[in-house]
Amino acid sequence: MSRHSHLLLALAIVVAMPLFMHSGSLASEVLIYALAAMGCNLLLGYTGLLSFGQGIFFGLGSYTIALLLTRWPLPMPLALLAAIAMGAAGAAVVGWIAIRQRGTYFVMLTLAFAQMFYFIAYSLPGLTGGDNGLLDIPRPSLAIAGHTLWPLASPWQYYGFVAALFLVAFWLLRRVCDSVFGRTLLAVRDNEERAAAVGYDLRLLKLQAFVISGAVTGLAGALHAMMTGIAPLSNAEYHTSEMIIVMTVIGGTGNLLASVLGAAFYVLLGDWLSTLWPRWLLLLGVVLMVVSLGLQRGLWGLGESLWGLARRKRPAPPAPAAAPSANGGQA
Amino acid sequence: MSIYLLQTINGIGIGMLYFLLAVGLSIVFGLLRFVNFAHGAFYLMGAYFCYQLTRWGWSFWWALLIAPLAVGAIGWLTEKLLLRHVYAKPHEFHILVTVGLALVVQELVILQWGPLGDSVATPELLQGVVMWGSFVYPKYRLFVIGFTAVLAVLLWWVLEGTRLGSAVRAGSESTEMVSLLGLNVFGIFSLVFALGAATAALAGVLAAPIRGAEPFMGIEALGVAFVIVVVGGLGSFSGALVGGILIGVVQSVMSTLWPEGARIMIYVAMAAVLLLRPHGLLGRKG
Repeated sequence: MSRHSHLLLALAIVVAMPLFMHSGSLASEVLIYALAAMGCNLLLGYTGLLSFGQGIFFGLGSYTIALLLTRWPLPMPLALLAAIAMGAAGAAVVGWIAIRQRGTYFVMLTLAFAQMFYFIAYSLPGLTGGDNGLLDIPRPSLAIAGHTLWPLASPWQYYGFVAALFLVAFWLLRRVCDSVFGRTLLAVRDNEERAAAVGYDLRLLKLQAFVISGAVTGLAGALHAMMTGIAPLSNAEYHTSEMIIVMTVIGGTGNLLASVLGAAFYVLLGDWLSTLWPRWLLLLGVVLMVVSLGLQRGLWGLGESLWGLARRKRPAPPAPAAAPSANGGQA
Repeated sequence: MSIYLLQTINGIGIGMLYFLLAVGLSIVFGLLRFVNFAHGAFYLMGAYFCYQLTRWGWSFWWALLIAPLAVGAIGWLTEKLLLRHVYAKPHEFHILVTVGLALVVQELVILQWGPLGDSVATPELLQGVVMWGSFVYPKYRLFVIGFTAVLAVLLWWVLEGTRLGSAVRAGSESTEMVSLLGLNVFGIFSLVFALGAATAALAGVLAAPIRGAEPFMGIEALGVAFVIVVVGGLGSFSGALVGGILIGVVQSVMSTLWPEGARIMIYVAMAAVLLLRPHGLLGRKG
């Protein structure tokens, strides 16, 4: 059931957000971070790799598009492709070294790389603007040969653009997860020794997952830079990596829609709370601890459990006839 | 030439602090088999406790005693109340629960002391420099080298010469075997975690007069500690010592050659060691 229903649900979220939300920027932000969280989920939920390097790819995407749009007269779609490519290339480099190690060493390596990238970005002000970041990034309309196809000036116009890219990425990622490659990743996640014994090249599989994740995260970084008009140093900080992981884990791992839920939870809660209480991240730390302690399938898992509970209770009094059909073949 | 000598000695000074920072992480990993992402938060707490105590007019020496004890107690409670409940879960969640804890500590620090850092005064006794012929060196940094060297010997004795130490070393080989021998493994876990937190806090106190206290020093320290244990080998006392000094010297010498790149070079050093010796310089396999 799930392939099409998930894509339809994603479409429903994309369509519903403009109906319920006032700010196009906020809605775009939800989808942009959903992209980043899905990239993280591909690694954590499907391959079993907890990567603190997602901020590198996010930062690479935003720096790349900022440089290309401000310094070279490159068409925007090409600049976006270049940002995706840079995200993928960064992931290939980090992945190539980090996946030589497993488990804890791997996690520490990704964090060390994230710190290294931060200091590189900080030490190269000519390229990255250093502490100030890159400013005044334009948001040119989507045009072919001078004909404007889709203006991006207003927040909701930009949302439409982001939403289209989000749906394409979601569809592609679902294709990846449902493919033989995706199933093999699950085998790696569940038991590395067994996957290796069966004859799979673990390093190659993990590297491929890393590259795909880096590409999606690079796209998210580029879209974020275009939305805000700046590529700040903070996009390359540990905090960005942490944020992407927190969204992914709170949403729930191993399910792409859960990442969308996690990103929406983080962005909307942050938008609401940060005006009330600047230190709202404290609450988020608590939520992360609670999820780690007792809610390991995240909000999505919680929703599924509640849904299962509701379904089990409801059929009993009003419609007993519905029960067997729900159980399908077992009845 | 003498500038390199000076930078090397400086590097050893930084390296001894790095050792103190990393050794707790390493021992905790050796026994509990998980990386404590809140280790930097304990370091952060140490620095801020020192800042607060000296602001209240207590001397630095009291801070050097009280802060590690207080943070050690916090670590002990953390293990008992929080971490104990995740041991059975997949290892990502061990890390994530400490990531959450680190976030909470960092935000609490900002809540209490504000987002901007502040400096901590060097104790009066150790202000000024030592002159020895043409050799000039700050007293405080000399003290840090001596003090951490004494601590290193003490820690080594605790790990190698006491019953607790042998239990810890045996536990890092096989916790099941240790509990079968009738030792209270969970008690040892709490104690070792407290010890790790206390050493991190001690590093924080010692670092405070050098680099001040600011809310994001925790995560920076965590990154450096990871580099050290990856270079030296995780779970190894001597690995933390060798890794700490090596990284300290690399950072210090590079800061004269290429100031902006000094921080980058320690990560380059890490990547190089890792490619040549995947388990670190002194690490065990597996």
